[in-house]
Amino acid sequence: MASSIDLVGRSGAGPRQAADWSRRQELMTDLRSVRGRAYPRIVGLMREPSWVLFEILLPFLSTSAFVFVYRAIGAPQAYVGFVVLGGALTAFWLNVIWMMANQLWWEKSQGNLELYFAAPMHFMSILFGMALGGMFMSSTRALVVLVIAGTVFGVRFSVDQWALLISVFVLTLGALYGLGMVLASLFLVWGREAWHLGQMMTEPVYFVSGLNFPVARLGFLGALSVAFIPLATGLDAMRQLVFADAAFPVGTPAPLIEVAILGVMTVVSILGARWMLIAMERRARRDGRLSVRWQ
Amino acid sequence: MTAAAGPAPGPDPARRRPANPFDFAKAEGNGIQDFIRTFAVAVRLGWQLEANWTDPFLFFIYSVAKPVSSALILVVMLEVIGGDAGRAFRPFVVVGSALWAFVVSGIAGLAQSILEDRERYRTLKYVYVSPSDFLTILIGRGVARLGVGLAGAVITLVVGVIVLGVPFDPATVDWPLLAVVFVLGLGSIIAVGLLMAGIVIQTRQESWQYPEAFAGAIFLVAGAVFPLGVLPAPVQVIGLLTPLTWWIAGVRRALFVDGPGSIGGDGTVFASLSGHLQPSPEEIVLALLATGALATLGAVAVFRISDRRAKQAGLYDRTTGS
Repeated sequence: MASSIDLVGRSGAGPRQAADWSRRQELMTDLRSVRGRAYPRIVGLMREPSWVLFEILLPFLSTSAFVFVYRAIGAPQAYVGFVVLGGALTAFWLNVIWMMANQLWWEKSQGNLELYFAAPMHFMSILFGMALGGMFMSSTRALVVLVIAGTVFGVRFSVDQWALLISVFVLTLGALYGLGMVLASLFLVWGREAWHLGQMMTEPVYFVSGLNFPVARLGFLGALSVAFIPLATGLDAMRQLVFADAAFPVGTPAPLIEVAILGVMTVVSILGARWMLIAMERRARRDGRLSVRWQ
Repeated sequence: MTAAAGPAPGPDPARRRPANPFDFAKAEGNGIQDFIRTFAVAVRLGWQLEANWTDPFLFFIYSVAKPVSSALILVVMLEVIGGDAGRAFRPFVVVGSALWAFVVSGIAGLAQSILEDRERYRTLKYVYVSPSDFLTILIGRGVARLGVGLAGAVITLVVGVIVLGVPFDPATVDWPLLAVVFVLGLGSIIAVGLLMAGIVIQTRQESWQYPEAFAGAIFLVAGAVFPLGVLPAPVQVIGLLTPLTWWIAGVRRALFVDGPGSIGGDGTVFASLSGHLQPSPEEIVLALLATGALATLGAVAVFRISDRRAKQAGLYDRTTGS
């Protein structure tokens, strides 16, 4: 009789010992899971050529329409820049809504969700992997929109504080994808309403976030948005930093304060996502919703 | 032992060739009756998929939030700049963005039906091999979503008139023109939707956003929220070849007879080609008819080619992940 058995490449005296992983083994498996979940999103860019047309060029044309609205009413050139920056950031917001928040619901419909839960990894690894892959995908689109639109419409960026701008950008992504993780956990127990909620979170959120205009113009509603919606906070901070010489309506905080707000949003949303994931998973298991499809 | 005389071995010839082997009439169906029944079932199914996930009030809120927000974005953009130009533009952008909500629903409806049935419910292959006509099912499903879009557009117009102060007088509406352009435009919207359906048959799961991205691109050239005159001349030409441009111009002209038009104006391609500043209602109807017919023929051709290729490549039962 063999003194030890080999279970999935891990030796031990028996199944119980083989399943007793060290912290390092757990960490390495989680990191591999992050890489594995990010992989299809990054490699997928190269494998689906139609993506370039539909995800980059056509949204650029849509952004251009708002530029022409400003041109039709003779707006100052800085407002064209506002639209271009807003158009670039929508790439991240759409990615968060459709490829983070809605993703677990889709995985459930496709039958992958139970495989994720059965796999020996922390589920947050899946969410982090989705977020990293999504950030990469969206960054390419945002960059192309910024470069093409900036060139075509002659947008002049005037940045004085690069370090602050980079901090705002990184924290905006952190807060946005943290929110995406929270929503993904929440959508775990929903059916078709998840898709409709995703629809609800596009134009209405664009409006309250001041996508094409300074959010301060919305008064109290704008202030609320800056306090609670990372898209609004990040966009307002970036506009103040990227168009430093433009005249802004008063009503929103200085970029440094918005950096602090984004930092709090990032931490709260990631911790919230972890808590929500555990709570929603427990509820979904209790209600038998983890493998319910096509509802 | 001698062989017994009698009929040759094997089945009875009468059994081999029954008098009535197959009733071909059953496979031919009942023509228009089948079409109507298929269409009605598809519309009902589409409506159920759209609406029965929640109670009617919440469904109403969800349906109107998007188009109303789109209009509000544009209204605030005008307010930010202020001045006479901004105020004069308000009815123009409210009507344009309301109509565009309807267009997006129509364009997305057919393509989303393909994606839902293939990727989510995995029933596309069964629907395809059923005796019902596939195109009729698709259009039926798309019409349900068009209905939701129409409700959103009407509510946006009502909000525009009541809350945003868009001047509107039903007595001045050119109702015959509205009826004609609406029917013709509906055909064009469905044609563009069919084109997108043909495209998403070939693409993978991420094509959920493709119809709206495509609609966003047409938004630039259709004169929905700004006059074509502000675009470069070559882009204006593309706009003039798009049926949705004429549809929006026609509906706008019918609702606000003396309001600003989206197609003509000083220095526009239309003015230089036609010799006058704004198109007449007759010109709008004729142009809508011509461009709509071209778009429909093109869309049907693309859909048929895509359908044939999908059958050859086994795309109707392919599901993808990301």
